[in-house]
Amino acid sequence: MTTRQRLNLLSRAYPRLFPRRELLRLLEEQLGQVDALDKWFRRPGSLTWSQVRAPGLVYHICAGNLAVSAQMSLGHGLLLGAMNVLKLPGDRDDLSTRREILDFIRGLPAPLRKLVKTERELDPALLRRAEVVIAFGSDATMASLRAQTVPAQKFIAHGHALSLLWLAEPERFGSKEARACAVDVLTYDQLGCLSPQAIYAPPGARISEIGGKLARALETAWRKMKRKPARPITVAARITEARDVAHGLGHRVWLPPTKHLGWTVIHDPKSAFRPSALHGIIYLRQASPAGLKRALASVAGKISTVGVAGKMNAASEKTFLDLGVTRFCAAGKMQFPPLTWHHDGRPVLAELVTWIDRET
Amino acid sequence: MPFDFASPAGRRAWRAQLLAPIDEAKWERLTRELFAWQFARMPAYRRICEAHSVTPKNLGSWREIPAGPQQLFKREKLFAHSSARPGAIYETSGTTTGEPGRQHLLFPDIYRDVSVEGARRAGLFQRHVQFHFLTPSPAEAPRSSLSAMFGFWPKAAKQSGNRFWIKRGKFDLPRLRGVLAEQVKKGQAVAICGTAYSFVHLLDAWADLPLALPPGSWLLETGGFKGRSREISQIELYAELSRTFAVGRDAIWNEYGMTELSSQAYARGVGGRHQTPPWARVLICDPVSGKEVPPDRRGIVRWIDLANVDSVLAVQTLDLAERKADGFRLLGRMARTEPRGCSLGIEDLLSVK
Repeated sequence: MTTRQRLNLLSRAYPRLFPRRELLRLLEEQLGQVDALDKWFRRPGSLTWSQVRAPGLVYHICAGNLAVSAQMSLGHGLLLGAMNVLKLPGDRDDLSTRREILDFIRGLPAPLRKLVKTERELDPALLRRAEVVIAFGSDATMASLRAQTVPAQKFIAHGHALSLLWLAEPERFGSKEARACAVDVLTYDQLGCLSPQAIYAPPGARISEIGGKLARALETAWRKMKRKPARPITVAARITEARDVAHGLGHRVWLPPTKHLGWTVIHDPKSAFRPSALHGIIYLRQASPAGLKRALASVAGKISTVGVAGKMNAASEKTFLDLGVTRFCAAGKMQFPPLTWHHDGRPVLAELVTWIDRET
Repeated sequence: MPFDFASPAGRRAWRAQLLAPIDEAKWERLTRELFAWQFARMPAYRRICEAHSVTPKNLGSWREIPAGPQQLFKREKLFAHSSARPGAIYETSGTTTGEPGRQHLLFPDIYRDVSVEGARRAGLFQRHVQFHFLTPSPAEAPRSSLSAMFGFWPKAAKQSGNRFWIKRGKFDLPRLRGVLAEQVKKGQAVAICGTAYSFVHLLDAWADLPLALPPGSWLLETGGFKGRSREISQIELYAELSRTFAVGRDAIWNEYGMTELSSQAYARGVGGRHQTPPWARVLICDPVSGKEVPPDRRGIVRWIDLANVDSVLAVQTLDLAERKADGFRLLGRMARTEPRGCSLGIEDLLSVK
C-alpha cells in the first residue's frame, strides 16, 4: 500500500481528525514529499537523492484520560505504514478512554486495521522490539519506560504538560473572546495538555467584568454541548471541593445558575500558578510580563500552549518563550492544533522515520 | 449557658458531655452549639457556610452543617482561637501534594481523651498487650497526630514497655524482631500498630520469617499507602499479615482517622464496617447534592466530629465509602492523583519544583 492510499483511507474514515489536505501538507512539510516513503526523490537544491523508511513497529503507550492523543499517535504510525501496537489504558484509568480508542480502531478501514494490535498489559519483549516507542504519561512513567528501552530505539516521551490562556488586551475582552475561551476550557473536559488550567491577564484588567463574561459564555457553551462530560462521584467530589476551598479562601467564584458541575470560574488573587482540579474549573489570575515569570516558575518547561486573546506584545511573548512554551495560538483554537503542529516542539512524523541518502 | 471552649474548665465540661451517653436530642444540641461557636470564630469556615446559605440561625438539622474541605487545611489556618497560641499543631505528611495540612489545637486534651476512649470503646484495650508502634515516637515526630495518639494509648491502657520502632527515620526491624521473639517465647500478647506501608515494609523484610504471635495479639493498620512502598490491596495485606503473624483476620484492625480530625473510626478484618464513637458521625454523601446517600450506595465521607472543637467540626474528605446499616465500608482513600495522561497535575508539579 502506498502512502497516498493509506492517506486516503485514513482521511476518508476520519475526515475531521485527519483532513486530507492537512495530511498532504504534513507529509510534504516533514518528509519533503508526499511520496517520500515510496520512492527516491531529489531534495531541492541538492545532488543527493533521498528516501524515507518508516519504522517497522511503533509501540504507543496511551494516556489514561484522553483518547485523542492515542488516536493522533496511531494516525501518524498508520500514515507511515508502520505496524502499531497500542498499550491501552489500564483498568484504573477512565474506561471510556479505552472504549473510545477501541472504537476508533474499529472504525478504521480493514487494510489499516491490520496494522494495529492492542494490549491491556505492557509487553516488555514487544516494547524492546519496537523501533519507536511513543509514550504519554507522568515523568515517573516515562522514566520507567525509558529504562525498559534499548539505546537503538527512538523513545518519544510526551510527559505531562499544561496550557494557559493569556488575555493580551483585557480591555477588549468581549463576548467573542469569552466564547473562544469557553471553547478552550470545555473541550475534552480540560483533561489534555492543551487544555488551559488558568487564564492570566495583565494588571489593571477588570476581573469582575471578565469573570462575568466568561461565566456567561461557559454556560451557553455548556448548554449547547451534545455530549456533556460525565461527573462520577470522584470527579464531582473534586469539583465541589475546589469550589468550597475557593469560598473558604474568600476568592470570587462564578457558578452556573443551577450550580451544576459543568464549569466554575474562580478569581485567585495570587498570581502563582496552582493546578486546576480540571473538569471545567478555570482560574483567573493577574500578572505583569515580569510577574508572569515568577508566577509560572514552578511549571517552567511544562507549558505546552498559550492561547492568546488579543494581540500579544513582544515582552509577554519573550516571557512565555523563556518559560519554554512551544506553541502560541488564538484563543478558541487551543485544542485544535493543525496536523503539522510540532507536538512538544517536535515534528510528529519526521522524528519517527529514518532517512536514506544516495549521493550522486 | 454556652460552653467556653477556650478555658480548661469549659473544655473539661465539653469532654464530659461527649463521653457521657449521647441521644439524638443531645447530639442535635451539641452539634448546633459547636457549629455556632466555630461559625462565629473562623472567617474561612463562615464563608463556606454562607456560600451554602447555611447559618446557625437557619440551620434545619445537624445533617445540613456545611463541611470544610480537607484540602482547605493546607491553604488556610482553621483555628477557632485566632488570638491564642496553639498548644499543639499536627501536620499531614504532605506525601501526595507536598503541602501539609495543619490541625491547630488549643490544647491536645480533648484529642488525647477521645482518641483513647474511642479505641477503648472499639474494643482495642480489652486484653493486656505489649504495644509496638511502627512509627516515630511523639518526641521524635511532635507534629504527627498518629504518633501522638499512639503515645496516649499505652498509658491509658496501663501498659508499659511499649516501643516506637522508627528512630531517626530508620525502621529498627532487627531489634523489633528480637523483642517480639522474646515476648512470643513468654506467651505475652502483643499489639503491633502502624501505617499500611510500614506493615508492607515489615512484610517484605520478614517474608520468609513468620512469627506466630501469642493468642490475644492483634494488629492495627492505618493510613493507606499514599504512593509509598509497594501498593497492595487490603485483602492481600491482611492475608500476608495473617500468614506471617498467625493471627486471624479478625485480629487485624483498620483505624480510619486523619490529622484534621480528633476522632477515629475502627473496623475489623477485610472489608469490615467502620464504626465511629458516639461523639462523631460519618455521613456518606452524594457530592452533587451534598445529601446523604441511601443505604448500600456509594458516596464520599463527611465527618461530623464533636471533639474537633478547635478547628471545624464537619470535615469533607475525598474518601469513597458505601453507607451500611451498621456503619460504613471504606472503599478507598482517594489519593490526590490528578487525571492520568498528558495533563499536568498536582503530583507532577511537585517533581517539577
